[in-house]
Amino acid sequence: MTPSVGRSVPRPDADPKVRGTAVYGVDFEIAGTMFASLVRSPVAAGRVVGLDTTAAAAMPGVRAVITPDQAPAHRSGLGLSDQPLFASPYISYEGEPLAGVVANTLENARQAARAVLVDIEEVPAIADVGAALADGARFIHTDWASFTPVPGLPDWRRYGNVCGELISDPGGVDEAFELADLVIEDRFEAGRQYQAYLEPKSASAVYESGRYTIHVSHQYPFNVRDRTARALGVRPSDIRVVGHHIGGGFGARLDVSLEPYAGLFARLIGAPVKLVNDRVEDMLSCNSRESAVIKVRSGVTRDGRIVAREYLCDMDSGAYATDTVFLISIPMFVAGSVYQVGPTRVVARAVYTNTAPSGAFRGVSGTYLYFALERHTDNLARAIGMDRRDFRMRNLMTDGQSMLNGQVLSDAGILETAFDAVEEMAPWASLGVGPNRGVGIAATVWLTNPAPGQVTLKLNEDGTLGVITAATENGSGAVAMGVRQIAADELGVDPSDVILTMPDTDGQGFDAGSQGSRTTHIVGRAVREAGADLRRQIVEAGAQLLEESTEDIEITDGMVRVKGRPHRRLSLADLAKGAMFRRGPLAATGSYATPIPKYDPESATGMLFPTFPTPTYHVHVAEVEVDPHTGQVTVLRYLVAQEVGRAINPQGILGQIQGGVAQGIGHALYETLEVGADGRYRQRSLEAYRMPIAPDVPRVEAALLEHPDEAGPYGAKGTAEPPIVPVAAAIANAIADATGGSINRVPITPEDVLEALDGAQDQIRGEEE
Amino acid sequence: MEFRSAESVDEALAWLTELGDEAQVLAGGTDVMLQHMRREITPSVFLHIGRLDTLREITANDGMSIGPLISHRTLATDPRIARSMPALTEAAETVGSWQTQEVGTVGGNLCNASPAADTVPPLLVAGAVVELSSTGHRRNMPLDEFLVGRRSTARRSTELLTGISADAVSPGTGETYLKVGRRSAMEVAIVGLAVRLTVDPDDTVTSARVAVCSVAPHPYRATAVELILEGSHMEPDVIAEAGRALTASASPIDDARASADYRGRVMPHLLERAIGACLHRARAGRKGL
Repeated sequence: MTPSVGRSVPRPDADPKVRGTAVYGVDFEIAGTMFASLVRSPVAAGRVVGLDTTAAAAMPGVRAVITPDQAPAHRSGLGLSDQPLFASPYISYEGEPLAGVVANTLENARQAARAVLVDIEEVPAIADVGAALADGARFIHTDWASFTPVPGLPDWRRYGNVCGELISDPGGVDEAFELADLVIEDRFEAGRQYQAYLEPKSASAVYESGRYTIHVSHQYPFNVRDRTARALGVRPSDIRVVGHHIGGGFGARLDVSLEPYAGLFARLIGAPVKLVNDRVEDMLSCNSRESAVIKVRSGVTRDGRIVAREYLCDMDSGAYATDTVFLISIPMFVAGSVYQVGPTRVVARAVYTNTAPSGAFRGVSGTYLYFALERHTDNLARAIGMDRRDFRMRNLMTDGQSMLNGQVLSDAGILETAFDAVEEMAPWASLGVGPNRGVGIAATVWLTNPAPGQVTLKLNEDGTLGVITAATENGSGAVAMGVRQIAADELGVDPSDVILTMPDTDGQGFDAGSQGSRTTHIVGRAVREAGADLRRQIVEAGAQLLEESTEDIEITDGMVRVKGRPHRRLSLADLAKGAMFRRGPLAATGSYATPIPKYDPESATGMLFPTFPTPTYHVHVAEVEVDPHTGQVTVLRYLVAQEVGRAINPQGILGQIQGGVAQGIGHALYETLEVGADGRYRQRSLEAYRMPIAPDVPRVEAALLEHPDEAGPYGAKGTAEPPIVPVAAAIANAIADATGGSINRVPITPEDVLEALDGAQDQIRGEEE
Repeated sequence: MEFRSAESVDEALAWLTELGDEAQVLAGGTDVMLQHMRREITPSVFLHIGRLDTLREITANDGMSIGPLISHRTLATDPRIARSMPALTEAAETVGSWQTQEVGTVGGNLCNASPAADTVPPLLVAGAVVELSSTGHRRNMPLDEFLVGRRSTARRSTELLTGISADAVSPGTGETYLKVGRRSAMEVAIVGLAVRLTVDPDDTVTSARVAVCSVAPHPYRATAVELILEGSHMEPDVIAEAGRALTASASPIDDARASADYRGRVMPHLLERAIGACLHRARAGRKGL
């Protein structure tokens, strides 16, 4: 049997997903279910002074109207316990749940939810971080000081509307700026990006014998278990989470949304309950990629060295802390990981505003942090009159250099290899040539999420291999291709004979979800651990059945054989059947978590996300053309050199690259949830929220660079998240090059392009005068 | 809420006489269903006219006659439309997706009267006239009089749009529809512009028609621009003046898609491109290409 690792094996879940027969979370219904709809706040900030449920309760089919007094009153959260189930009485964002209605049909529940009369004293919204940080700004939560971190997490510096703050100031920064020939300072802004998965969020729950069972399509079922337990004030083991096919997540399905409400309502009414977002409430309440403001200042020398840097970032956390308190560590990894820099100060804050809590989106914060870094890098090169690529090459990190947290990048030299790889695909000097054309280049270092996972392999009596894991197939193929192929090769079986479970927190060991490209790396490694144990058991069973000693038994081509006597053999099916009633079932469990790399805990305060484990290296090049009259941008070519460790399924990775670049082009050019002065989103449907479509995205040209990682299965590192990370940077640099002007904000609108062209014209005129 | 599906035009008209405002006429439903879902409309009866095949005919004689139930997809693919009203073909191709083009109708596009209705500018430059029928009565009205405001038409609640007629292009005439959107397909116009120019053999403009959408409460003919172009040889200063006049004629707003300033800035450039394309087509048409 040819090993399946390294081959583009087709994925078995493609057929049902394409044909529409796959049952997604939103399709799933528990027999006898009732349906619920949340009454959501129409305003971004205010106080509920009255809630009249009389009319709603009398509506057709209504079983119950759930009011805040029926729900636990405590706050809970991902990192900081600051979020209540219902706003009562204080409303912190538009779309925040105020009450719930349970009815016999979804339509009746929604009708009745609209009939709940809410009397609100509205107050002016704090719509952005600038307003939240202004002197004398109202506190979004007057009782912020009473909030506590979730169990197991030490508290950190928080004050008023700042719910998290990272400060890394190693000393000597100001002195280093004195040594610079030139100091360049830039300010950047990035908009909110909605994950825009096809399947709206939903949750189904039933409460039986004191336990909750929750059915959902989710990237991280164990987090649903833990977060729902905290929200409802019960033990994690009181909750069972069952996963279904996921219709797109991109990070939006890593934290809870509707699940605690489904569980609570099911218990209160004594019947199963299902909630489904409509698209508008899904957009309003979604934990989208946060907006941010970044200021970068660097000192450079005439010969092209970066001698000092300050990198400041304010992230819009929205009404609750969610994951920004972790993400504020990432500017540290961006400011000093790709290019060698002198002493660097990083200050990053997570800031409350009256907007929907932001959250995880593929390439968390890295998209805009690298956009800022790489736009700034272009500006540094320009300021000293160096070619932008040469300037980068001169300052590239090399093997053994340390990031700002003290973590050593033993293989950072791969960056240079990646620059060479894109050069080979299309020489830098040949791109962006001609009127209205431009080229941009951007490099990044990104991590592979280290969090733990567990797998049980069982050899079935028909010789197929069961893989029991709570790892989630979010569409990336990490389970359907990566884990499956790695498991197949453990016993030399065909990948089509590998049977994967759907997640179930009662039935499987812990898994930290499909986040940060971890599944192939972590779960694949757990498969290898389990595989080694299972093979040992198979050899023992084979020795017993064939009456040989274990040293003489080998497993080849899906058979157990006696070495040197190939006719003395058993198929895996016969072995499993034979072993069953003589020595018991053949199964083994493996676990893995990446050891946390060495770092300097003194390098920063407020660092809840202290390392960048299993780093990977990336260079992207974009060539664009701008229309000088309409400001429209066409991406002509897009090149990617991506370091993957080892490509388990090359086609799968290329798919992730194409998709990541498409999503990155959306972030760079099209997609944003703008917040009006009233704290409400301006884009309130997928009609108004513009995503790129096929004609807007070029066919991406990609090179996969393989530098096998010692810890990863067959050397695999994380691959699915990184392709979005450098895109906004590369596109923005290309547009700045094409226009000769400044591009300091994503998404880059046609109006921004025209403004950049005007700015360049003014500059030329100024120089002529 | 009631759903009635008419089997004849007379039956539809009878119901409209009976129901008036209570009825919402439903053809392809690509706008109506969204408005219903958003609770922007609350009719007591949906009056479905999708089975009235007599309203789904194209005739191309001296002029064009286009049944109001003709879908955008048919407009985009029918060779008679492509030959006689190429700007309408181009406009229909840009409406939504293939799926919505297949069900959305030209009559629906006119009656919905969106400021961004793509088929309206090409119909305006083709001098379109709409036929409105009610029980025992029929009247014709130029399309530019039919559109009276944002999402507002001169159709009486008892009337049904039963016909659209328009002038086909003739040799020496070229027309085009250009659209600026944020992305390159499935887009609502930020600015949509149709131009139809007739030029004589020495390139004198003998007739100019210019219409725009998405820059005012409803699409309109920019007659001031037409007057500037007519009689000219499309000299650069004339085109520049026409561009300024086009921007001056508009009353765009800031919305989530683009700012008013952007729309004003883009219009003259779009006009210049459209004039170039029309001239090219007019010359090609005269040579019988």
